[in-house]
Amino acid sequence: MAVHPTFDRRRFLGLLGAASALPVVAACGSSIGGSTGAPATGGGGGTVKVGLVVPQSGVYAALGTDMQRGWELWLADNGQRFGDYTVETVIADEGETPQTGVPAVQKVLQNGGVDVVVGLVNSATALGVRDLLTESKKLLVVTNAGAEAVTSTSRTPYIWRTSFTNGQVAAAMGTHLAQSGFSEGVYAIAPDYAAGTEVITAFTKAFESGGGRVVGSAKTPFGTTSDYQPFLTGIQSSGARAAFCFYSGAEAINFVKQYAQFGLASTIPLYGSGFLTEGNVLPQQGDAALGVQTTLHYTDQLDNPANKAFVQAYTAKYGEAPSCFSVQTWDAANVLDRALASATGLDGDSLATALGTVGAINDSPRGAWTFENQTPRQNIYLRRVDNSGGALVNAVVQDLGPQSQPAA
Amino acid sequence: MLVSVLNGFAIGFLLFILAVGLSIVFGMMDVLNLAHGALFLGGAYLGATFAGSWGGFLAALGLAAVGGLAAGALLSLMTEPLRRRSHLDQALLTLGVAFVVAELLIIAFGDDPLSVSAPPALDGSVSVLGATYPAYRLVLIGVGAVLALAVYLVVERTRVGALVRATVADREMVATLGIDNRLVKAAVFAVGSLLAATAGVLGGPIYGARPGLDATVLILALVVVVIGGLGSVRGALVGALVIGQVDTLGRVLLPELASFVLFAALALVLVLRPRGLFGSPASVSTR
Repeated sequence: MAVHPTFDRRRFLGLLGAASALPVVAACGSSIGGSTGAPATGGGGGTVKVGLVVPQSGVYAALGTDMQRGWELWLADNGQRFGDYTVETVIADEGETPQTGVPAVQKVLQNGGVDVVVGLVNSATALGVRDLLTESKKLLVVTNAGAEAVTSTSRTPYIWRTSFTNGQVAAAMGTHLAQSGFSEGVYAIAPDYAAGTEVITAFTKAFESGGGRVVGSAKTPFGTTSDYQPFLTGIQSSGARAAFCFYSGAEAINFVKQYAQFGLASTIPLYGSGFLTEGNVLPQQGDAALGVQTTLHYTDQLDNPANKAFVQAYTAKYGEAPSCFSVQTWDAANVLDRALASATGLDGDSLATALGTVGAINDSPRGAWTFENQTPRQNIYLRRVDNSGGALVNAVVQDLGPQSQPAA
Repeated sequence: MLVSVLNGFAIGFLLFILAVGLSIVFGMMDVLNLAHGALFLGGAYLGATFAGSWGGFLAALGLAAVGGLAAGALLSLMTEPLRRRSHLDQALLTLGVAFVVAELLIIAFGDDPLSVSAPPALDGSVSVLGATYPAYRLVLIGVGAVLALAVYLVVERTRVGALVRATVADREMVATLGIDNRLVKAAVFAVGSLLAATAGVLGGPIYGARPGLDATVLILALVVVVIGGLGSVRGALVGALVIGQVDTLGRVLLPELASFVLFAALALVLVLRPRGLFGSPASVSTR
């Protein structure tokens, strides 16, 4: 055994991951060239340059596509302008990890000369660029990354968020399940990484303060678990009345399918954070997902005029229904437009001050929401997977009302 | 508990089909084929494309077999010029192939995770002593056992198998008998790759098909090879079944340690039996 293969492979994966980000972003930076000095004050026209940093490769690429579409749809519907400013978008690939995401943000700031950064799926990337933005005094609007710390312990005036927090979505489900006859016992399961821990913590806290009892919990190895049978057996033998989980992507597909295959779906109803059944995973889960209930701040089934118009325009343009990721990025354009109406400049301080005064965002597809500590206070919806005319959808069961980011 | 033991066998036989080729080629020629996981993933994508009906599922199996055979022969050819160089050079070549194949698969099939449905009639669940168990996995245990037995008998009981074992033990000596051991290597490489791609189709309904799955299964296969010992079919079989059980039972009994159980077992074997459970001392001492 002269070679230790896993070590070599990992090291090379890491190196390649880090190296692959550079040419992509460098190409981006050079292609758009100079023109950094936009007029500083509103009213006289000018250009605002936005760096849209979303995943174009890796496991989150599908989210990146949805995000980019949400951004482009808003701009297309509003003449590519924020008020008097013409919007110029520079796109960079966030990749999967901070090793690619942080350099991507750095490049759009330094080589791209952007005024505002929008995007970021990965929470570690959002936390990793904090100092970068503080030093350059530029504004970042996070349109996915849900880590609590982004707008709590690591809060900075330069980072705002139009998506959600992991705990906000999970706590709403905790409160709901405690009031729905499951207080006797729920089993909580999530992948063993930062977001999974945040979700389980917030769920447990809300569920227990509503009088519920968590009878068991498990953390599954993140990114490498494909077979959930051992954990499903644990759920069955725990005597739980219901199960709460947090999975997304490939893990969500496997978990939901196996939950049905091993016969749990008919005896222990499955609940989860909305990403379990959101976007492209739902058709892959198929009928195994029927009846699964989740909480989220959006579903394309929402019955309000803004959403109906949004879904219609989005579907007409891209041929598939929007996801929460599309809406989160659509709303980033929406709030930047409002902020630029009153901002005194394009620097981070002026924009942050202006964002603080935008008040209620009342034309969002997700329903009205407001900034609270730089992250949305918004309605969370209880959704159930139903078959609607041959297609699986997340139908609205109940509006759980406006929810804040849970206190740490 | 019964369900977990059953499941351990299903995963174990699947791992054996995946790992046996890797083990023999490594034991025989010192070629560590890091593209082995990519072959599995290729099979899984074939399953995702064609499965859904019996015809589609069997077509995917057939295509995976033919494609795996060709890919294995090609890989063998590519590593040939490096046979006098170090393990690292060969590993690097196959690692490069693995990356290229993974990227090609993304271009061809997209980067969304895909699920693979089991053939009709096996898509449901059956009741086993009161517990619900997916029918497909039960059948997989049977198919896996038959395949394992077939590979075992071929390698241990036939003239061709004797040639393979002799080449593992001492390839120079086999060469002096007038046998071109490059052909033996190419054949073993091709059949091992066939089995890996087939395992991808068979494992599809359990694991699905997604970017990154190749790395996950490659690591599992390497653990099996290390535990079982290089170049031994018996070792690969026992290693795969042990890993199947350890991985499922360990996670049931010690859910908090789920991430570590597998590698703890690996460490334990390495401490107690550094050459693996069935590793041959002769083939190691020549290195």
